[in-house]
Amino acid sequence: MKRPSCLLALLLVPSLLWAAKPREIKIQLNWKPEPQFGGFYAANLAKVDEAQGLAFNPRPGGSGTPTVQLLVNEKIDFAIVSAEEILISNDRNPKKPVIALFAVYQTNPQMIMCHAEKKFESLKDVFASSVTLSWQSGLSYAQFLRKKYPKTKVKFAPYSGGIGAFVGNKNLCQQGFVTSEPLLANKAGRATRNFLVSEEGFNPYTTVLAVRKNWLEKNQELAKKVVSITRSGWVSYLENTVPTNAYMNQLNPAMDLRTAMESAKAQEKLIRPTDAFQVGEMSADRWQRLIRQLKDMKLIKTELKAADQFAVF
Amino acid sequence: MRRLWPPLFLAVAGLVLLEIADLLQVLNTSLVPTPSLIAASYRENAADYAAAFQETFFATFVGFFASAALGLSLAFLLSLSDLARRAFLPFAVFFQTVPIIAIAPLLVIYLGFGPGTVIASSLIVSIFPVLASGLLGLQSLDPGEVELFRLYRAGPLDVFLKLRLPRAYPSFYAGLKVSAGLAVIGTVTGEFVAGGGLGALIDSARTQQRIDLVFGALILLSLIGLFLIGFLRALNGLINMKRPYGLLLKD
Repeated sequence: MKRPSCLLALLLVPSLLWAAKPREIKIQLNWKPEPQFGGFYAANLAKVDEAQGLAFNPRPGGSGTPTVQLLVNEKIDFAIVSAEEILISNDRNPKKPVIALFAVYQTNPQMIMCHAEKKFESLKDVFASSVTLSWQSGLSYAQFLRKKYPKTKVKFAPYSGGIGAFVGNKNLCQQGFVTSEPLLANKAGRATRNFLVSEEGFNPYTTVLAVRKNWLEKNQELAKKVVSITRSGWVSYLENTVPTNAYMNQLNPAMDLRTAMESAKAQEKLIRPTDAFQVGEMSADRWQRLIRQLKDMKLIKTELKAADQFAVF
Repeated sequence: MRRLWPPLFLAVAGLVLLEIADLLQVLNTSLVPTPSLIAASYRENAADYAAAFQETFFATFVGFFASAALGLSLAFLLSLSDLARRAFLPFAVFFQTVPIIAIAPLLVIYLGFGPGTVIASSLIVSIFPVLASGLLGLQSLDPGEVELFRLYRAGPLDVFLKLRLPRAYPSFYAGLKVSAGLAVIGTVTGEFVAGGGLGALIDSARTQQRIDLVFGALILLSLIGLFLIGFLRALNGLINMKRPYGLLLKD
């Protein structure tokens, strides 16, 4: 009798261990570990995920990581994208729609940064000048601004990351996140003036957690848990950024701890505009407005419905 | 013309297969566009494609000819002195091994946005094969032939023009062919960071998930490469026709 019971024990122990192991949730980021993803890392560090039987694993990306394409083509199940990427993807791939679960930034942190000595007061001044503007011309906000300021003397140049060219050229403005590039420029001894694109009337949700719609239909409960954990992670991060920033600094030493702390501080109001606001929430009005703007810019052709673009939990 | 049939047949068969795969709904056109989608993108964006093609073509041509001229001149100079060769070659190897994508943003800082950076990028990427092959060709001499020239009291210029140069020609040609393809790669990499041309078009199309535009631009890029190779073959044919030194180099 001893032998069968030993055999049973040998079979049971690994299966029990397997059952106890939390389910890994790989989240594909579109940039390196920086405060813009703080809540996802915080959820794991604070073990909020473990309490619900999951293990968040944010996977760093880089410049141009095609997260939305990876998602559409079923290479990943969770991706960080922007609201415009979702709409453009759903316009091009109507059979494989993508849907937003959680929007980190309520106010889009994308901005144009210029040298302070240029004394620009607004983006209108920038576009009336003859500076060089380094940006990714394919970005939807770049197209929005080109349409808004059609007559301009600005020379346009590509943007390939970093602030190296900006620091060395006082006649250069560049794209960036208000939570990142201006801090790095200040650290390099350059005073800047920053102009948020959202203030120009283009304010899509950014750093959006998205999944495929067909995946969501089959995994409603899991998605609900992931959203709940993400929200708790962000609330925890906004309350105390120190441990998560220290952890992200180990993963991405390129952004030093002090800059990360400043960045985390700068993004607070962009993520939670008021204390009463529930982090990550989205509204149909905002999505509808973005759909109209992208249609006006001819970036999408089909009639998309706002309600199909995001899930409410 | 007979030589063109196999690649043409393969290309047409590939295109037809893609269209059939799309009809059968087994092709994901968000990853691989059909030829008809690419053709539609050409019609829709003809002006953008034409302007971008012109810019890339110009930069590639200038970059390639600059690397050919500079590479062959350097190869000649280095073949004259062992000391110069030993001093210079490590730096040439640096140019070969450094990933252009890593230094291209620095080129923007040094040379600014625009064609200067693009041409420099093309030159850096494409010069090494010309230099290395040229040097190898100029040094690969049969001592018996040199001895024979000496017996006939040939001067250094005669040795260079009638022995070294013809013997080095196949290596020159091989180096230039490799360099032609690399010049296109260097140009596009430069355009990613400095703007303009098909590189900027690809960059912008990628951001907008326009895979049809990306493939359309890639086809035009390969046409530039093919044109350069065709140009070199024509030049080689012309040289072989004259065959001043009994030279015959087949492609």
